[in-house]
Amino acid sequence: MKEAIELHINGDTYELLVSPNYTLLEVLRDKLGLMGTKRGCDLGACGSCTVLLDGEACLSCLMLAVDARGKQILTIEGLAEGGDLHRLQDAFVKKGALQCGFCTPGMILTAKAILDEEPHATEDVIKHKMAGNLCRCTGYKKVVEAVMSVAASSGKEV
Amino acid sequence: MRLPKFEYFEPEDLKAAVAILQKEPAAKILAGGTDLLVNMKHRVECPPVLVNIKRIADLDYVRQDNGDIRIGALTPLKRLHAESLIVENFPGLAQAASAVGSYHHQVMGTLAGNICQQNRCMYFNQSKWWRSSRPACYKAGGEICHVVNKKEICYSAYCGDMAPALLVIDARIALEGPDGSKEMPIEDFFSGDGKTPLVKAPAEILSEIIIPKTSADGISSYIKFANRDSIDFPIVGTALWASENEKRYRVAFTAVDRKPVRGNQAEDFLNGKELSAENAKAASDLAAKAAKPLKTSVYSPSHKRRMMGLLLQKAVNEAKRRSSE
Repeated sequence: MKEAIELHINGDTYELLVSPNYTLLEVLRDKLGLMGTKRGCDLGACGSCTVLLDGEACLSCLMLAVDARGKQILTIEGLAEGGDLHRLQDAFVKKGALQCGFCTPGMILTAKAILDEEPHATEDVIKHKMAGNLCRCTGYKKVVEAVMSVAASSGKEV
Repeated sequence: MRLPKFEYFEPEDLKAAVAILQKEPAAKILAGGTDLLVNMKHRVECPPVLVNIKRIADLDYVRQDNGDIRIGALTPLKRLHAESLIVENFPGLAQAASAVGSYHHQVMGTLAGNICQQNRCMYFNQSKWWRSSRPACYKAGGEICHVVNKKEICYSAYCGDMAPALLVIDARIALEGPDGSKEMPIEDFFSGDGKTPLVKAPAEILSEIIIPKTSADGISSYIKFANRDSIDFPIVGTALWASENEKRYRVAFTAVDRKPVRGNQAEDFLNGKELSAENAKAASDLAAKAAKPLKTSVYSPSHKRRMMGLLLQKAVNEAKRRSSE
């Protein structure tokens, strides 16, 4: 049976009727049209579907939508403010840290979770924590460089 | 992939959760979901009811009680490798927590969920389409175990990272059930039966993990060998606890049997002896000889045996390095 739920996504509140077997990823993409969150492996092995729940990097393909009630959800669509790219988005563009761009939303959100917790995270920490975000085309060097450029310059919350 | 349909409950306390589980013995408990939901997507587990226990308050804690450390069932793995109480006293447990899956799995996954994860096998952890090329295996609801080609037996391997690290520090677990709560050594929680790996009644919930203070007297470590460091389950995982002053040692392995196992032969040999390279080598050979890994993954049993020995020697070297610091 469908349940009426409220989800807080990117600062907006959505009222929805969803079956408990819908994942947060399915609701974001198929019900709300927020296509920025990508469906990759759909089994929690690639990191493409990463969203932030109360600031923590979570895999939306392994999270029931009904379970995300009461949490602040941030997707890639909610990152830029007033038309200005977020510093991480800007760094990814400037460093050329993407090719097809499919993994980029997950990469950027994971990086944000890491840097919010540890603004001056070392390269080793960044590499270790972002290892679950897979890229099939461009590789990881420029991704790490982009995140490091923000880590090195950040003094407060990213 | 759409999850199969199920009835969904979000009890607010353990008592209510136990009551639902009593009424619905086929129900499954949902915590982090990183193991169960994958299996449900693969249709190897299709529970009619899911009981989400994450709304239950006060199951996420690490606290000291008369010197013992008590960890709540829903404590995320991420917290375990950041918590100074754990990192300083039980570094092996912190190492194991940081070795589980990817960072995302450590954020979402819980300690009890990791302990209670399903056994794994290359014939079981596959999509419905992949599995359709041969009859369903015994664990997935069929009759035969494709690993040994025998009926009504399951040789899937237990592949959790946390269990061996908890075995060597003599952890106990608390179960909450219809008749109240009970405690048991974590070693007794694993049945050794691949089909139903846990010794737990359907209405029982793992609520707490207790580590005795005496275990803080030794040095613990966990070393994992996996295909990719970033995300995989262990091919072999080895935990060691060493009290060099008393010359007492405990060894445990994961992914080499149907349950996490203690290396009793290696322990018997090492106890009372120095942690020398020769003794470590001899103990490694004994542990590898006693193990019974089967071909449940693409890695051969002989490869697993060899890795058990090498990992144990590596763990011994690490213990020696730490004790000299």
